Amino acid sequence: MESQPLLKVEHISKRFPGVQALDDVDFEVYPGEILGLVGENGAGKSTLIKIVSGVYSKDQGQIWFRGQMVEPRSPQEAQMMGISTIYQELALVPHLSVAENLFLNREPQRLPALGMVDFGQMKRDAEAILADLGVQISPDRPVKELTVAGQQMVEIAKAVSRHADLVLMDEPTSALSGKEVDALFALMQRLKERGVSLVFISHRLEEVLQVVDRVMVMRDGRRVETLPIAEATQAEVIKLMVGREVTLFPKEEAQIGTPVLEVRNLSGNTVNNVSLTVHRGEIVGLGGLVGAGRTEVARLICGADRRTSGQVLVDGRVVDIQSPGDALQHGIGFVPEDRKLHGLVLGMDVKENITMAILRRISGWLAVIHARKQREIAEQYVNALSIATPSLTQLAKNLSGGTQQKVVVAKWLSARPKVLIMDEPTRGIDVGAKAEVHAIMTRLAKEGIGILMISSEMPELIGMSDRVVVMCQGRVTGEFQHEELTQENVVACATQFLTVGTESGQENTGAD
Amino acid sequence: MGKAETSTVSRDIAARRRAAPTGLVGFLGRLLRTTEVVMFVVVVSFVVLSTIINPRFLGLDNAKTLTRDIAILGIAAIGEGFAILTGNIDLSVGSLYGLGGVLIAYFIVTRGMAISIAIPLTLFIGLVLGLIHGLFVTKLKMHGFLITLVTMGVARGVCLVLTKGWPIIDLPRAYTVIGQGHIFNIPVPVIIFVTIVAATFFLLRFTYIGRQIYAAGGNIEAARLSGVNVDNRIILCFVISAVCSSLVGMIQAGRLTLGHPGAGSGYELSAITACIVGGLSFAGGEGSVLGIAIGAALIGVLQNAMIMLNVSPYWHQIVIGMVLLLAIVFDYVRRRRRV
Repeated sequence: MESQPLLKVEHISKRFPGVQALDDVDFEVYPGEILGLVGENGAGKSTLIKIVSGVYSKDQGQIWFRGQMVEPRSPQEAQMMGISTIYQELALVPHLSVAENLFLNREPQRLPALGMVDFGQMKRDAEAILADLGVQISPDRPVKELTVAGQQMVEIAKAVSRHADLVLMDEPTSALSGKEVDALFALMQRLKERGVSLVFISHRLEEVLQVVDRVMVMRDGRRVETLPIAEATQAEVIKLMVGREVTLFPKEEAQIGTPVLEVRNLSGNTVNNVSLTVHRGEIVGLGGLVGAGRTEVARLICGADRRTSGQVLVDGRVVDIQSPGDALQHGIGFVPEDRKLHGLVLGMDVKENITMAILRRISGWLAVIHARKQREIAEQYVNALSIATPSLTQLAKNLSGGTQQKVVVAKWLSARPKVLIMDEPTRGIDVGAKAEVHAIMTRLAKEGIGILMISSEMPELIGMSDRVVVMCQGRVTGEFQHEELTQENVVACATQFLTVGTESGQENTGAD
Repeated sequence: MGKAETSTVSRDIAARRRAAPTGLVGFLGRLLRTTEVVMFVVVVSFVVLSTIINPRFLGLDNAKTLTRDIAILGIAAIGEGFAILTGNIDLSVGSLYGLGGVLIAYFIVTRGMAISIAIPLTLFIGLVLGLIHGLFVTKLKMHGFLITLVTMGVARGVCLVLTKGWPIIDLPRAYTVIGQGHIFNIPVPVIIFVTIVAATFFLLRFTYIGRQIYAAGGNIEAARLSGVNVDNRIILCFVISAVCSSLVGMIQAGRLTLGHPGAGSGYELSAITACIVGGLSFAGGEGSVLGIAIGAALIGVLQNAMIMLNVSPYWHQIVIGMVLLLAIVFDYVRRRRRV
């Protein structure tokens, strides 16, 4: 590693109203290295990235890039300097082709006086760029037809083709499946070999430790430590992030009872003839790639989407579920994947969100809600789940991701379900909160609730499940008891129908 | 699972709490950040200002006219507010206002129907139209903007067909009480308005139906997955909106003793403005009925003041439009800052 850093940041501080987001942070990125940036939500990772990429202004401190002091005032300016950012939300034009996106606003021209685009040249250049990076995507395809992973590749190719020396990636893997992540990592390695430096933010620690050269841990707006990868163990990094020891996957044996949820030959909305059973006290993991139809199964079970065939049994009796309201009546709760989109009403407070599913039940004459009952129930679950809210009237939008997730879980618990379907229950939340959610799941299982957990995170799937059902392309392709669970087993089933180049009928986005 | 690890949030909140001044200053500061309170202060200053310029502004006669105007706009605005709460919009307010007035006059004068039948019948027609709006919005997943735009055109057409373009005049004295009458010097429309405000406040604040309306407006998917019958809540909102518009038309017909086919034309502009000024968000799920009432008061005072201060009526629409622009910009800025 060369001694001269590509990017050197000194004494950066940033204050938002009421919060010191960054407090005197220093860090360096060397040419051709991948630096991992980890920390809990609110630790200041994204703020730091946004200052370097010109989205936010800094209050104090200096940024040195290629030995010169710089002060990017907008992402465009940062890009001109050679600092590109790949955001979670992609900045591509969906209806234009890959090539058009790569050359947006710098299209090769023919007859410049007429402003004609030289499409032939553009396509050849685009092919060259993509081939150079080993990305197998046709430059003619409209971007909207690509998977998220494919779009990300295009975004990275775009950045690199604009001579970015430093690529900042904020949670690039959160929407990718395992195989796509591997392809992304391969691409990152190739960039590194070409001398490009990368800063990689992710909540998934295993991933970070797999791909980076050094890992920088942040907490409360400060840099806690920077470790070379050789010295960074997962346990050590988590301890630094949280500031204490955390037990991951606190799964304990629960008494497994009679079947509480049985699904027979369920079909509809990309789901094909799925059958599965969840017993009392059992945590059943539903594994597979993103797009395998797992969320769809959950939505069909709880009546959010219409099924074309199949039966759902609760406690051995066939139940007729036409809407989420019916599912609730029969004791099926659904904690959806995206808590902001599907789980919470962000503009309402903790109390109202927790009691949302039981409002009718706690209302009396003239539909008037029993305020005291509502408060008591909300209080009970805030305490039971240690929901970190200053009051019951705190708006949901002001809570952190982990706390929000617990509110969604509380909402369903207050409805006293027999079965809880949890779609990616710990996606995008802190390590500490994650362990808490897992502990809650363990406790619920012990209380006799059956849990169906959808998870794309292999360690979570293997660590928390008594049994795992694996899906691929809308069908069940495997089932494993806890003892026979291995990553290899699950992956083999998850990719059973997939051959290279035909992933879900979509673009194979990576080089193998 | 102790309290020690309470994550970032509690830290952020603690920091925010420290930043916020406590005591009386803090209380007043927080109060001033409530849209309802700010708008109320604006309305009062407007009244004071107008009275200083023209002392007759607060005279009994003008006070009656003013409160009646506010009441009529307020009823329409509350109806519109229900549609906006669900994240939709109702563009048919002005046309249903016209239709309500024409229908009541048509039933009573042209058809010689008893008042006690004509009133519920007209309201029922409004209810059915609202039901149709709601069904289109929920079952066909159509934005309320579109289906109410259709009604905006069709209902106005029906007014013209029924009246052949001429007002239906000479509504009987027994009916016109609804627009012109007083009880203890309080105009009847004001009494109707206050009753509706109270009922709406009760519905939205204390009943599960009201809270579910907010939930459906705030995040329809989350509400649906929580077992809330969001379709029924949205349909109810459109029904209330259409019934309120028809009622306003009926009151105004009573006030003028006639059903005019052009009545209420463009009234949705005033109704929407009152809602947004009063703190409702176009995104839905946010705002209160008190806000709407204050918004209506502001628009009413503004219009009345323009008349009292001899501003040409041609300018009124422009002024209202500008107020709407201000309120929308405020709403957007506020929402963007929150992200």
